[in-house]
Amino acid sequence: MRILVLILLPWLAIFLQSTIFSFYSIKGTTPDLVLVFVTFFALFNTAKKGSGYAFFCGLLEDLYMGRFIGLNALSKGLTAYIVGKVQGNVFKENIFVGVLGVLVATALNFLFLFLISIMVFDVFHIDTGMLHHIMYQAVYNTIVAIPLYIWYYNSSNSGVLRTPWRV
Amino acid sequence: MFKLFKSKFFWLLLLVIIISLVVMNATAAQRANVTFLEKVIRDTYVPLQSGVSSFRNNWDGWTVVFSDKRHLQQQVKLLEAENSQLSMENQSLQEYKQESFRLRKMLNFDNANREKYDLLPAHLIARSPNNWYECITIDRGSRQGVKKGMPVISPNGLVGRVGSVSENSAQVSLITDREMAVGAIIQKTRETNGIVEGLGDSNQLRMINIPYYSKINEGDRIISSGLSATYPPGINIGTVTEITREPNGLLLVAMIKPAVDFNKLEEVFVITGYHPVEGFEVEEE
Repeated sequence: MRILVLILLPWLAIFLQSTIFSFYSIKGTTPDLVLVFVTFFALFNTAKKGSGYAFFCGLLEDLYMGRFIGLNALSKGLTAYIVGKVQGNVFKENIFVGVLGVLVATALNFLFLFLISIMVFDVFHIDTGMLHHIMYQAVYNTIVAIPLYIWYYNSSNSGVLRTPWRV
Repeated sequence: MFKLFKSKFFWLLLLVIIISLVVMNATAAQRANVTFLEKVIRDTYVPLQSGVSSFRNNWDGWTVVFSDKRHLQQQVKLLEAENSQLSMENQSLQEYKQESFRLRKMLNFDNANREKYDLLPAHLIARSPNNWYECITIDRGSRQGVKKGMPVISPNGLVGRVGSVSENSAQVSLITDREMAVGAIIQKTRETNGIVEGLGDSNQLRMINIPYYSKINEGDRIISSGLSATYPPGINIGTVTEITREPNGLLLVAMIKPAVDFNKLEEVFVITGYHPVEGFEVEEE
């Protein structure tokens, strides 16, 4: 059941991003729910598991878009690896950990997108419009992270996302 | 350091990174067809996306019923005034049309298929799930005859081009996408051939390659030139809002406000067939 939910989460996130959130975007910006779930997963698991799951989620997003396949997979995988590396030193009971984690992950994800694009395509046009998108997305991600973290925390401890060793 | 090289995870990570970079590079350019896996993934979304889209349209209809009556009356008055003005404009345009037909006959140039598009109506069911690509998903795919590269328009103007097609849906790259470019001319003077490119912003386009002596002004309407094989000529793209000179002084850059409001786009038309106007021969004669 846990695995099924973990597979369905990024699928559902892409669906929500492409419909409800994109129809009601703020200044043309939608939240990155896939990144939010990936960050939470990395926070509650190890760096290796986190990066693997993030790679899968990013790949699903790339396959849906059909362009630059591997870009989101790689950037999200590397972001989750870093988040997973620091997860042992933080108190996950505190909601601000989740919210701050998402904020940092948004910045890291963009940094990796930028570096990979420079490396593979030689170009990456950063203009004010793109910087605005990143700022709005960071705020949007942080806001949606609040209720989602509460749900994710409860599910990981006593709900559907509970890991077998916790039983 | 040697410990790192002995780690299986390190080698796996390196392999995944290398494969990802290769695949990324291979899929950066426009592909003739998307893979079976991509088609399957997209088609799993179509029924739900169509459902949400139709629910949203119905919901918008209900909210209008309960909205401010006075505001609606004002809108009706405005639309009536606009309608009468358009009717008058239409009458004079009909005159021009008849005149054009007569002149074409006099020049022995009469093409029965002139300005005919085969249009396939489609509904917008989803937008790009991330902020880096400007694209939409429509509820028509290869089963309905949509093919990659077909231009997409709305009653207001040019929307974009079909980027990839699956069985029951198609992804349309909007002209506002950073990777899109359309050959364009100024409708009034028809002398300047520029290129309109997307900026990744749904409210702005940029026209480049305009010679410094070009008679371009703010408010001028920009239409597709038809020089590229993808877009038919004469489709409205937008209006000029700002003109600046490039640092080299030889070329101008114009900012364009798109004719289509991409944030409110709901219905579009895919041009499945296009019969070009052979008007250039007349001009040369």
